[in-house]
Amino acid sequence: MNKVILHCDLNCFYASVEMLYHPEFRNVPMAIAGDPENRHGIILAKNVLAKKCGVKTAEAIFEAKNKCPDLIIRQPDYDSYAYFSKQVKDLYYQYTDKVEPFGPDECWLDISESIKYFGSIKFIVEDLLRRAREEIGLTLSIGVSNNKIWAKLGSDLATENSYFVISKLEDIGRLPAENLLSVGKSTYERLKSYGLYTIGDIAHASSNYLKSILGKNGETLWYFANGYDLSSVKKYDDSGDPIKSIGNSSTTIRDIYDLDDLKIILKVLSDSVASRTKDANLYYKTVHLYLRNKKLEGRAMQKSLKENSDLSSDIYYSALDLFKENHLDFKIPYRSVGVAVSKLSNIKETSNIDLYGNIEYSLKEKSKDIAIDNIRRRFGHYSIGNLRVLEDRELSHFDPKNEHTVYPVSYMKGR
Amino acid sequence: MKRKYVDVICLNDQAGNIKPLFLIWEENRKIPIIKIQEICPRASLKVGGSGLRYTCLFEGNRIRHLYYDRGKWFVEMN
Repeated sequence: MNKVILHCDLNCFYASVEMLYHPEFRNVPMAIAGDPENRHGIILAKNVLAKKCGVKTAEAIFEAKNKCPDLIIRQPDYDSYAYFSKQVKDLYYQYTDKVEPFGPDECWLDISESIKYFGSIKFIVEDLLRRAREEIGLTLSIGVSNNKIWAKLGSDLATENSYFVISKLEDIGRLPAENLLSVGKSTYERLKSYGLYTIGDIAHASSNYLKSILGKNGETLWYFANGYDLSSVKKYDDSGDPIKSIGNSSTTIRDIYDLDDLKIILKVLSDSVASRTKDANLYYKTVHLYLRNKKLEGRAMQKSLKENSDLSSDIYYSALDLFKENHLDFKIPYRSVGVAVSKLSNIKETSNIDLYGNIEYSLKEKSKDIAIDNIRRRFGHYSIGNLRVLEDRELSHFDPKNEHTVYPVSYMKGR
Repeated sequence: MKRKYVDVICLNDQAGNIKPLFLIWEENRKIPIIKIQEICPRASLKVGGSGLRYTCLFEGNRIRHLYYDRGKWFVEMN
């Protein structure tokens, strides 16, 4: 039997939650933005009227206000977003146990097995749309297809509170290639330079040709365009999702112009991420560094360690290495830095040979990390710190572990 | 119409259900809820807000919706 996959996307999620509690904002352009006082003043979400004025996600408040002087700015309420995200997921679970979240506002649902209980695909989709609106007060766009990639594309094509079915390539062949999942700005430019403008162009090209242009990603794109994505929708697991990565990021109080400033921020973030990793009894193998400059251009890098670790120093030095290895500079200063670890495991890997006394070094570093964590737990975060961090208290005065801010996925993806 | 948050006296039963018994109205008047006719999740599109909607029967056959939203109660008011 063919699979039936839905991709459900909450329309303008953050803005919709705001409008749910403040109906007066339904008829005026309104956007959710971080706190300008702490330099978090970028647009996180906007309603339809603000979108019509040209307001874009991730632009600065003043840019948005230039386009739309009457724009109303509201501060984000992450507790409410988490609550409504869960409410909507609970609704999905009433139709299937195969629900895979993709950010706080998007989910894939595999309803192949559910159709026989509910009657038809049409019934399930229309029931979901109606119940989300009536029972929760939020509207959905639903993409319907036989694979996850086309379903996601379908939800982008569906208007608010409606659905869009994609059953064959002809339905989407004429769309620009940039609509396809994982095609960003630079990939799209590259594809265009080879004469591949539409999703149909990619689908009809040979996978080897795409591989020669874009490497392994090219092959993946060919599969995506043809709807040959066979990955299944992950099943709901009562024990909760295993943690895949741990990370912290910070929009710094002032722009970062040199390596010394960057080191201070990296030290604070590494300490926090390592401490959270240890709290979860995990070890990481891969370290990620994320930088966003003043022009709001993001750059993500990653590096794997030889053996896994839970030390703050390994994160710190790996992040610094990443910066150096990628030949980055400070021509455009940075305004936001993020550090994350992934490939987590609860078992410590050790190499058999310890020629250089690494184990002794690791143990020393670990007991130092634990001692610092203990002191912070008893006397507060700012009671102890690295000398480098204390050099510039203004820049280092934030506590990512306890003030952990959840950014919307779209922001981290740099959309 | 406006959303008005109100005080409510409830019974929390052994099964974990919450049953509103009295609505505290202006001048601290305690208005008894005679019967709960329906409980369902519902958004109030008129006044904004969302939660569990209790359809309550009051004296004089008057029916009013009470919304329970994350620990707070509200009513729709003209």
